[in-house]
Amino acid sequence: MNFKHKFVFLFPGLFVLIGILIFPIIFTIRLSLSGWNSYTPEMNFIGITNYIRLFTDDPRFWESFFRLSFLSVTTVILQYVIGFALAMMVWREIKFKRFFRVIFLVPMMTTPVIMTVIWRTFFHESLGPVNDLLGGLGVKPILWLSDPVIAKFTVIIVEVWQWTPFMFLLLLAGLLSLPKEPFLAAAIDGASPFRKFVYVTFPLMAPISIGAIIIRLIEASKIMDTVFVLTSGGPGTATETSSFYIYIKGLREFQMGYAATLSFTYLVIMIISLTIIAKVLTKLMIKE
Amino acid sequence: MEEQMAKIDLSNISHTYNPLDPKPTYALNPFSMTWENGKRYAILGPSGCGKTTMLNIVSGLVRPSKGEILFDEIPVTDLKTEDRNIAQVFQFPVIYNTMTVYDNLAFPLRCREFTKEKIEERVKSVSDTLNLSSFLNSPARKLTADQKQLISLGRGLVREDVAAVLMDEPLTVIDPDLKFRLRRNLKEINEQYKTTLIYVTHDQNEAMTFAENIIVMDQGEIVQVGLPKDLFEKPKTTFVGYFIGSPAMNIFHSTVSSDHEVKINDTTIKTNSNLGNLKDKNVKLGIRSEFIELAEKEKSNTVKIKLTRVEDFGNFKLLTGKMGDLVIKSKVEREKPIPDGELNLYFPPEKCCVYSDEKLV
Repeated sequence: MNFKHKFVFLFPGLFVLIGILIFPIIFTIRLSLSGWNSYTPEMNFIGITNYIRLFTDDPRFWESFFRLSFLSVTTVILQYVIGFALAMMVWREIKFKRFFRVIFLVPMMTTPVIMTVIWRTFFHESLGPVNDLLGGLGVKPILWLSDPVIAKFTVIIVEVWQWTPFMFLLLLAGLLSLPKEPFLAAAIDGASPFRKFVYVTFPLMAPISIGAIIIRLIEASKIMDTVFVLTSGGPGTATETSSFYIYIKGLREFQMGYAATLSFTYLVIMIISLTIIAKVLTKLMIKE
Repeated sequence: MEEQMAKIDLSNISHTYNPLDPKPTYALNPFSMTWENGKRYAILGPSGCGKTTMLNIVSGLVRPSKGEILFDEIPVTDLKTEDRNIAQVFQFPVIYNTMTVYDNLAFPLRCREFTKEKIEERVKSVSDTLNLSSFLNSPARKLTADQKQLISLGRGLVREDVAAVLMDEPLTVIDPDLKFRLRRNLKEINEQYKTTLIYVTHDQNEAMTFAENIIVMDQGEIVQVGLPKDLFEKPKTTFVGYFIGSPAMNIFHSTVSSDHEVKINDTTIKTNSNLGNLKDKNVKLGIRSEFIELAEKEKSNTVKIKLTRVEDFGNFKLLTGKMGDLVIKSKVEREKPIPDGELNLYFPPEKCCVYSDEKLV
C-alpha cells in the first residue's frame, strides 16, 4: 500500500482531531499572545505581556488554583472512601442488594445544575430547611453560603453527594471482577475481616482505585457549575476556582487574550500535576 | 513433632445444585468414603465429573445436600471453612502480593496469634522443606509461578493442626519438568509431615505418580477406588479402562460362549473370569495394549489381524491393526521385528477383563 492510500483513510480522523483539539489549542496559544478585549477586539500581537501579568500581578488566579486543588483533592478523597465503603456494603450477598445498588446511583442520574439549585435552597440561611431543622434542635443558624470557610465545605458536600455514585460504580465493578481464590485462601488462613481488607481486597483493588481516582480528579478539577450556582464564587472569592475565574475574565469581562493565557497555563499545570499524581499513586498503591 | 492429623469420613454424602427441583440432578451421587490419616489420595476424572464439588464439600465451600462429614469422628458439616482446619491450594498460586515470603508463610500463624518464636520455628522448618529459605526476605510477588505455588502450599503446612491439605489441580500453571520435581516434593512432604494430601486432577499420569489411592469419578459417581496398579490392570468399569492408560484399553463387543470363554467375531478367547452366572450373554472384552503379545503362529487365544499402522514412540512401538471392523492396539518393544501384513496377537487369559453391562465380572 502506498502513502496516498493511507492518507485517504487517515484523513477523516485526522480532520476531526485537528478540528476539535489541535486547532483550538493553537488558537488559544495565539490568542494568549494578543491583547484582545472589549476595547480592542482584534488579534494583535503583544508578546508575552499577558504571561508577565499572570506571573507577577495576578494573585487571584493562584489563590483560585490552590483553592481548586484543595477542593478537588478533598472531594475525591471523600468520594473514594465513601464510594469504597458503599461498594463493599453491596458487594457480598445481602438483602435488597439490587435496591441498594440502584439507590446509591440515583445522584448520578440527576442533573447537576438542578440539584445544586435544590441544595442552595436547602442551605439557604434564613429560608432553607437545614437551618430550620438545626434550629429545632437548638442549634444556631449556620452560615452555609456566606461564611468563607463553611462555604467551601458546602461546595464539598454537594460535590461529594453528586459524584460519589460514579466512584461507587467504578469500585463496585472492580470488586465484582476480583478472583474468588484469594478470599478463600485468606479465609482458610484464618484472616480477620480487617486483615482480609488490608492484605487481599485493597491490594487487588489498587489498579482500579488509581484509575477511578485519576478520572475523578480530572473531572473534579473542572468544577464550575456547582460553584456557579451555589455561591458564584463567593463570599468574596472564597469559593472561586480556576475555571470559574477564567470564566469571569473571559466571558464577563471579555479579556479574551488574558483569559486564553490563563487557560493555557492552567492546561499545562494540570497535565504536569496529574501525571505526577498518577505516578505517585502507582508507587504508593502498587509496590512494583 | 506432635501431629494432630485427622481421619476424614464422608458419610452418605450427596449434592445437587438445584435442590428445589422435584427431580434434582445430582452433581454428586450418594457415597461414603473414609480418608485415612497421613495418606495421599488423588481424585481423578474428566471435567464436570464432580471432583471439585467433592473437594469443596470437604473444605466447606459447599454444604452437601445430604450426608455428613466427620474429622476424627467429630461432625464438621456445619462448620465454615475457616473453622475446619484444612488447607487448600488452588489452581493458580494465591499469595499476598504486598508481603515478603516470610510474612506470607507466617500469615496463618499470625492470624491465630502464635508467639513470635513459634512462628519463626515453623516458618523455618517449612521453608527448608520447600526450598524457599533463600527467598524468605524477598517480596513474594517477585518469585516464579512454581515458587508462588510452593508458598500457597507452605501456608497450609505451617499449621501443625491441619486435618488435610486439599489441592485443586495445583500444577496446571507449572512447567512440565518442574511438575515432576514438585510432585516428588509433595511426596516427601507427605512422608515427613504425615499430612493427608487430597489431590484433584484430570491428568492420569499426575494421579498415578502422586497418589497411593486413586478415586476415579465419572458423572457424579465414584467408579473405582484403588491403587494405580489395580486401576491399570483390573479397571472396574469400561469407563476406567478408557480413561486410564494411554492408549485406552482395547474393548470389544463379544458373546459368552462357555463358562470361561467369549467369542469376538469368530475367534474364541479364554479368560480367567467365571462367566457361568451371567444372564446377558452380550459382554465386552477388555485388554490393555501393553498386555497383548506378538505370537509367532496361530495358537489358542490368538487373533489374526491386518496391520494398518505402526507408530514409533521411542521406547515402544504402537501397532494398530484390524480384525474385521474391530480396531486393536498393541504395544511392543521397539527392537522386535514387525512382520508385514497379517500377524497373530496373543491375549493372555489372566489379563483379559470381561465387562457385563459396563461392569467388571
